[in-house]
Amino acid sequence: MSTITISSLRKFYGKIPAVDGFSLEIPSASVFGLLGPNGAGKTTTFKCMLGLARPSSGEIRYDGKPLVPETFERIAYIPERSVLYDWMTVEEHVEMTRRAFRSFDSRRAFELLATFGIDRRRRARALSKGMRTAVMVALAFARNAEILVLDEPTGGLDPVNQRHVLSLMINEAAKGNSIIFSSHQIGQVERAAEHIAVMDHGRLVLQGLVDDLKADRKIVEGIFPDVSFTLDGITNDARVARADRTERIVRLLVTAGADEIAARLSSAGAMGVRVLDLNLEDIFLYAVSPATATTDVVAKETST
Amino acid sequence: MNYVEWLRVRNLLKIVAIILAILVVLAVALRISVSRYLSPEAWVAHYAMERGTSETRMTLPDGTKRLILDNPSERTRIVLDDHGYAGRHIVITEPSGHSRSDADHVNVGSIQVVESRHGGMTTTVIDTNGAVPVLYYMLMADVVALIVATILAAPFAREADGHLEIALTKPIPRARFAVGAIGADVAGIVAASFLTVVAFYICQLLFETARLDFSGVNSRAIAMGIACPLAWYAMLCAATTWLHRSYGAVLGFAWPVVILIGVLTIIHPANVVAFFIHDVARVLSYLIPFTYVSFASPDSHNTLLYEGGGDFTRRLSIEILLFVVYSALTIWKWQRVEA
Repeated sequence: MSTITISSLRKFYGKIPAVDGFSLEIPSASVFGLLGPNGAGKTTTFKCMLGLARPSSGEIRYDGKPLVPETFERIAYIPERSVLYDWMTVEEHVEMTRRAFRSFDSRRAFELLATFGIDRRRRARALSKGMRTAVMVALAFARNAEILVLDEPTGGLDPVNQRHVLSLMINEAAKGNSIIFSSHQIGQVERAAEHIAVMDHGRLVLQGLVDDLKADRKIVEGIFPDVSFTLDGITNDARVARADRTERIVRLLVTAGADEIAARLSSAGAMGVRVLDLNLEDIFLYAVSPATATTDVVAKETST
Repeated sequence: MNYVEWLRVRNLLKIVAIILAILVVLAVALRISVSRYLSPEAWVAHYAMERGTSETRMTLPDGTKRLILDNPSERTRIVLDDHGYAGRHIVITEPSGHSRSDADHVNVGSIQVVESRHGGMTTTVIDTNGAVPVLYYMLMADVVALIVATILAAPFAREADGHLEIALTKPIPRARFAVGAIGADVAGIVAASFLTVVAFYICQLLFETARLDFSGVNSRAIAMGIACPLAWYAMLCAATTWLHRSYGAVLGFAWPVVILIGVLTIIHPANVVAFFIHDVARVLSYLIPFTYVSFASPDSHNTLLYEGGGDFTRRLSIEILLFVVYSALTIWKWQRVEA
């Protein structure tokens, strides 16, 4: 059982901030999804967590203690790209991990490799991208680690094996271990993670329990009879997180009171008003991306 | 914890062993093909065929088999004492005009030849039970060890080339990991030297008895033969760890650069620019382990050109110091590497 606390983490490469004042608490015995667009700082955050990169400022603590070499007995890590040694066989990778970590279970590793259909005698250079990922997954999940840090752990895997990895993650959490993982496949995160955090430009832009985020956030959509309509200050309501307009249609992202906002939209002259649930992908996109090219952003301070 | 480095060393030693095994096989083939020329009987038969040669065989009280070939008309007399595993002692007396060599004293492996002239006669004494100087083997071993050292000499750059996530997430301090990796490579370099010595010793055994001489210059050659490749390894390690993205180029250009520096230090400068280059090269040469290996001749009877120079202790100390300093630099840098 382990809690990871990240406090005011900053990491600069030259003058460019990769992570900029990022704070987060990752609870024990949970699956925690870290989301963000490319370049958001997820991998750098993982590297700082594992001492692979030195933070410019801030700190990371495991159960209140800083990272020391012995902490790695409790942490398993899958990087986003293959770090296997091309010239070594899969079996030699297993042996390498067994020698490095006391808690490593070779039999479990070979079972997992068999599940992924990987021949232990093959050299890493002969493996496809997905197979390399599978080898790293097998090595990490045979570690019996309390904390698994997984950076894109399903990269290159086929859908069946992706599902298998998600099951492994959920099983580990059920055993009381902590999983923190990143993925661009939001559907996977939605299936596996209880908590998520969304990063953008090195900063935390959203975090919470997946169920809470989905329950709180709604889209209120209104269709007006013509393009010249006014919203009567609805967008200035603190519960309206974002407003997008396309011709006669306005879409409001609300964090609470969706029915009340819908009623106000009707009063403003909307012909049809409906309240839509959001999936995690919508929440993510609203958190990190500006409006798409086909949508005009409606500034909260102004109404048309 | 350094399993990967041990695997690298093991794989390289396998290649070294295969090459040396091929060498031994070639030596066996050579031994078989020249066996009739090396046989005393064939040699004796050759002399015995000469007109007027008489042949006498006897066994001495100590078991030595003596063969005497005497040719009064040619004034040639050969006495061959065969001591079995203790070698052979051959005394050839012949007119000086038939002398085949001007050398007074020649050592080739375990064979010692001493030639002396009295009046019009030359006496050649050949002993085949001499001790073989170990430095012969160390010369070969050094070549192999330096090649192995050059190949192994980028353990941390290799880790930095896409494997830091494995190397740096092991539950040991980075310094301990680095010491372990260097230790594995050092063991590999020493093992390569040892394998080479063994292989060449086997080759020699195929042709003659081979007692080894570890005394004097030989023990110095062993010490320097180990210290120099290790210092060279540590120097390349330090260079590649600091420039880890281009470690292949560092290893590839190391030899040409070192040779160039060596040449620049011995060329006599003809003008100011050349003098400046010469001085820079000389200063740089102090950082290179080869600078401290002496190739002076140890004595007038020997043509050996290795580790015979003076101030051996100082030079060996510098080699060891270079190894320690370069290793420390490597470890210091490794502790600051980021993925």
